[in-house]
Amino acid sequence: MTGATITRPRRSAQPPATGRGAGARRILTRVAVFAVIAAVPPLLFDDYWVFMSAQVLAFAVATLGLDILYGRTGQMSLAHASFMGVGAYTTYIVSSYGHGPAIQLGAVVVVALLAALVVAVPTLRLSGLRLALVTLAFGELLAWVIRETTDLTGGTQGASVDPIVIGTWDSSEPLHAYLIALVPAAIATLLAAHLGRTQLGRRMLAVRDTELAAESVGVAVARTKITAFLISAVYAGIAGWLYAAIVGFIAPPDFDLFASVYLFVAVVIGGAGTVLGAWLGAAYIVLVPELFTLAGQPNLYPIVGGALLAVVALLVPDGIVGLGRGLWRRVRGARGGQEGSR
Amino acid sequence: MSRTATHNTVAPAVRTEGLTVRYGAFQALSDVTVSLPAGQISGLIGPNGAGKTTLLNAISGFTSIAEGSVHVGHADLTALDARRRALAGVVRGFQTVRLLDRESVLTNVLIGTERLPQPSALAQFFGLPSQWRAGRRDTAAAAEVLDLLGLTGQAHRRVDELPFASRRLVEVARVLVSSPSVILLDEPAAGLDQEGRQELAAVLTRVHHNHPSTMVVVEHDVDLVKSLCSYVIALDSGAFLRDGTPAEVFGDRQVQLAYFGRAAGADA
Ligand SMILES: Nc1ncnc2c1ncn2[C@@H]1O[C@H](COP(=O)(O)OP(=O)(O)O)[C@@H](O)[C@H]1O
Ligand SMILES: [Mg+2]
Repeated sequence: MTGATITRPRRSAQPPATGRGAGARRILTRVAVFAVIAAVPPLLFDDYWVFMSAQVLAFAVATLGLDILYGRTGQMSLAHASFMGVGAYTTYIVSSYGHGPAIQLGAVVVVALLAALVVAVPTLRLSGLRLALVTLAFGELLAWVIRETTDLTGGTQGASVDPIVIGTWDSSEPLHAYLIALVPAAIATLLAAHLGRTQLGRRMLAVRDTELAAESVGVAVARTKITAFLISAVYAGIAGWLYAAIVGFIAPPDFDLFASVYLFVAVVIGGAGTVLGAWLGAAYIVLVPELFTLAGQPNLYPIVGGALLAVVALLVPDGIVGLGRGLWRRVRGARGGQEGSR
Repeated sequence: MSRTATHNTVAPAVRTEGLTVRYGAFQALSDVTVSLPAGQISGLIGPNGAGKTTLLNAISGFTSIAEGSVHVGHADLTALDARRRALAGVVRGFQTVRLLDRESVLTNVLIGTERLPQPSALAQFFGLPSQWRAGRRDTAAAAEVLDLLGLTGQAHRRVDELPFASRRLVEVARVLVSSPSVILLDEPAAGLDQEGRQELAAVLTRVHHNHPSTMVVVEHDVDLVKSLCSYVIALDSGAFLRDGTPAEVFGDRQVQLAYFGRAAGADA
């Protein structure tokens, strides 16, 4: 009754969040590209840059999480670094009792979820500025708790975190840290990409773009916001766990408002709503300040970073990924002509 | 009317009783009691500002009701919010299309599958088998409705790249994809050319034939209403004016006065 076209092979089962995509071959291509890029630091970089690359992995987990909350669900959080802090300090406390990575990770997930529930449920119906302010307050609260519990957390002086040890691997070795962090980063990436293919992921997009349409088809808007907040908090917590293990020392400034703003900048500059954008953003916030420091101009980074954010916000609202896609489309348009219309 | 008579037992009737909607001191609907026959396509007509959209809003739960009630079948939906009414089978399209502008046509249609039983958030997030099954079911439903509306070739284009008429069809597709039992469409043919209007009418007739539903279409085009609808309700200035078959309603002097500003001889 619906015609022959229905039974024809379709490209319908693709990740809608990535727009025009393709099936299994495209996914395999992406996995292969990811693997090749992931192999570069251990093969070509010296210890120092492997160490920096391991940090990129940790921050990528954080930006992937923030992208789910902001890029896809459109909810503004200024506490994302605070949730990294929740993960990092939970790791510190749990490891100081001698527990290994598995228990650390479990504790980080549970504590991040509980903290996120505390923030998300009262803000159930908040959005935009009000949500941002509540998340801001949570960040301040966390900083206060850390200051007031010096015995437990090291207070303002910070704390040395034991490395993750798995068999003969030890995350105080840059190469081991990199390889250990690669696994959760890859899983976080896969799950974030898969989310775009699910109704859960589409609910988030609908909440971001048009709550009316979302409700009109039965989407639970508040529940979707909370789910996105919980997922993003767990991502941030795991990022904090990795960060603590890789860097080996944590202090409140690592997770303050500025850190949250930088994560936000990363997502926007990379390209909100895209997995690739979250990765580019993570690389940007870890590597670019480092390059300025190496060039002897560490003070330039905030200025250049601020200017770049302004340029991106005004001229390329879809970030680096959007810029790349636009160029790609233009190149193909110039070569192939009418592709867009078919 | 015979066209849809076979479905009367499946789709529920929609009834409003004494419906009054106020915006401040302004009364957008005044004591409107109407009955939309089960399993039929009804037309909702009236001049601009008559309260057609407000009536759809009241039925679908998108505006608060000062007085009166909304019933679908034997259920009183008055106390339910918009989302619960959608889950109960009442799905509407918006006069101003509300799409996920940066997403593909396919994504915009798939969001409409929310009413179908969806796996838990955890099962979806981790890609458990139930997620894959639901995904295949939803994709098949979307493919069917895209094909029906002639949007298959556009499935992977961003909706903000599409001409307005196609965007309107995407809005309609999002409503139809879950085969709701009560379908409310607010000027779905606006912006379509003559050919497009006829195609849309044919598609809606076909959808209605394949999936029994009680359908309400707000539409200005008299010929379109006559070809599509078996029943018509006319509103004017927030009040019920007349109902009946298209011939009865369009033949009514009062309707002609209110609707066309003059009696008889009005063109579409
Ligand atoms: N949210 C609102 N606030 C104030 N007035 C409104 C609102 N929605 C509709 N109205 C008014 O109610 C009347 C009916 O509007 P509407 O139902 O949109 O008419 P129609 O769809 O028949 O053109 C109009 O005069 C409109 O200005
Ligand atoms: Mg209207």
